[in-house]
Amino acid sequence: MNITVGVLALQGAFAEHIYLLIQATKHLPQGLTWHFVEVRTPDQLAECDALILPGGESTTMSLVAARSGMLEPLRQFVKVHRRPTWGTCAGLILLAESANRTKKGGQDLIGGLDVRVNRNHFGRQTESFTADLDLPFLSGSSASKTEVDTRTKSFRSVFIRAPIVERILPHQPGAQDSESRISDTVVAPSRPPAAEDAAAQKAVAAQVEVMARLPGRATGLETGQTAREAGEEGDIVAVRQGNVFGTSFHPELTGDERIHVWWLKRVGEMVSDRRGAV
Amino acid sequence: MAGDIPATNGHGPASNGNGQSTNTFEVKAGLARMMKGGVIMDVVNAEQARIAEEAGACAVMALERVPADIRAQGGVARMSDPKMIKEIMETVTIPVMAKARIGHFVECQILEALGVDYIDESEVLTPADHLHHVEKHPFSVPFVCGCRNLGEALRRISEGAAMIRTKGEAGTGDVVEAVRHMRTVSGEIAKASQMSDMELRVMAKDIGAPFDLLKETAKLGRLPVVNFAAGGVATPADAALMMQLGCDGVFVGSGIFKSGDAAKRAKAIVQAVTHFRDAKVLAEVSTDLGEAMVGLNVEKMPEDQKMAKRGW
Repeated sequence: MNITVGVLALQGAFAEHIYLLIQATKHLPQGLTWHFVEVRTPDQLAECDALILPGGESTTMSLVAARSGMLEPLRQFVKVHRRPTWGTCAGLILLAESANRTKKGGQDLIGGLDVRVNRNHFGRQTESFTADLDLPFLSGSSASKTEVDTRTKSFRSVFIRAPIVERILPHQPGAQDSESRISDTVVAPSRPPAAEDAAAQKAVAAQVEVMARLPGRATGLETGQTAREAGEEGDIVAVRQGNVFGTSFHPELTGDERIHVWWLKRVGEMVSDRRGAV
Repeated sequence: MAGDIPATNGHGPASNGNGQSTNTFEVKAGLARMMKGGVIMDVVNAEQARIAEEAGACAVMALERVPADIRAQGGVARMSDPKMIKEIMETVTIPVMAKARIGHFVECQILEALGVDYIDESEVLTPADHLHHVEKHPFSVPFVCGCRNLGEALRRISEGAAMIRTKGEAGTGDVVEAVRHMRTVSGEIAKASQMSDMELRVMAKDIGAPFDLLKETAKLGRLPVVNFAAGGVATPADAALMMQLGCDGVFVGSGIFKSGDAAKRAKAIVQAVTHFRDAKVLAEVSTDLGEAMVGLNVEKMPEDQKMAKRGW
């Protein structure tokens, strides 16, 4: 089976994702043929079974997408056809149904994840950092000869002027109207899933799952305690809802392909399901 | 440049005991990676910064006078007034860069205290040290520096620059020097990538670059950090030219706000950098842009007026 995975290449660190996707294929089961392509036009997007929205400047990506006729095709891809999509950092912002601290006049969102994202949550570049995160979803992944201790090893995560998921929103038909009434908050327009598409209908009914949290920084730094010991849950830095996955950090900057392996396996399953259903 | 920089996990000090660390080289070079495929625009006030942000700039460079005016007015060009830099930082949500004079580490300390996202140790300002560049590793803010050739690029990276730009000749609107510097760097890297370790040692000595960095560069087939074009880019075609020559993105200085319709030209250059191989898009965005900046012909310029020569 051939699967084509696109990386949105309007601006940002798209080449890094393609590099790690290629690395990741070494750890995937045989029998699937993967193609990785840069996506700048609606025609290129139409070729894709799955898509990554990379890190970069979300304001730039959103403006360039609008001027390149990509915003609506992207919303169709993510929200109407509900194809597997992963956004990192700026990509997470674009995939949120609601975002704040955007530029004056707001910015266009694609949507797909029922969350509110707080842009530049930690502040400016001097507040950027790396952190070793425990990612429970990685240790759950079966297959591969990778030993258990490498699978469970913490993930060195790079946060650059990073956003976080500030709030998980109740899913509702239509746009997040209550969010749009909050000042300085922008929401994505509603694009209902295709009625005849069973996979899309199933994906849209999914709840938001919290996939990773960042242990409370100040507490951790002072006492060396973990967040749980300190009674803090920590900021939400990775979420999934149906077909859409988002991380506020940059796995593409680490040389560690484990999240790419995990995600490509999910893509393989989702694409197989979909093709089986046809 | 031939390829892309592979993701790394080895730069900078290891994370501390509880797993979090700031200001590593990885974090500094990481922001430059996030700006790839984008346009960084010179702006002299908050209003211009908003125009740049709306046009889709991936960052702005805050400075008091664009290079064309520094050229025209002469005098000593210094770091900008912090008041102006702060206003710009408060106005836009994209990264804000600011320039310090070559070797002027106190201007850099001030910019760091202001919290700018990147410092440009720039030959466009009047150099403050005739021999030394700033030691950039100790700063928490990342630095971008200019280069005309591979040796200069690697010396800057060795001092701690997390991003490089080819110099070009700022404030001229003439792209010839940007092309010359980019082709020089690419040519030297191509040569180095064919060399044995012994030959690389000789080359390292000849170009005044640290051997280890030269070897890494030769192996990668490109500079080990993000490299933008700068100096003389005035049109969407200029920007796409630099991208097709292998740059990771483009700085535009005087080219935007010294032209007839700044907002339109800025948007056009942003589109050109994304779609740099698509001549149809380039034709479309190049259409009816109004007047480009007047421009100075670099070939007719006296040697002592060239800014690119500053830096050692």
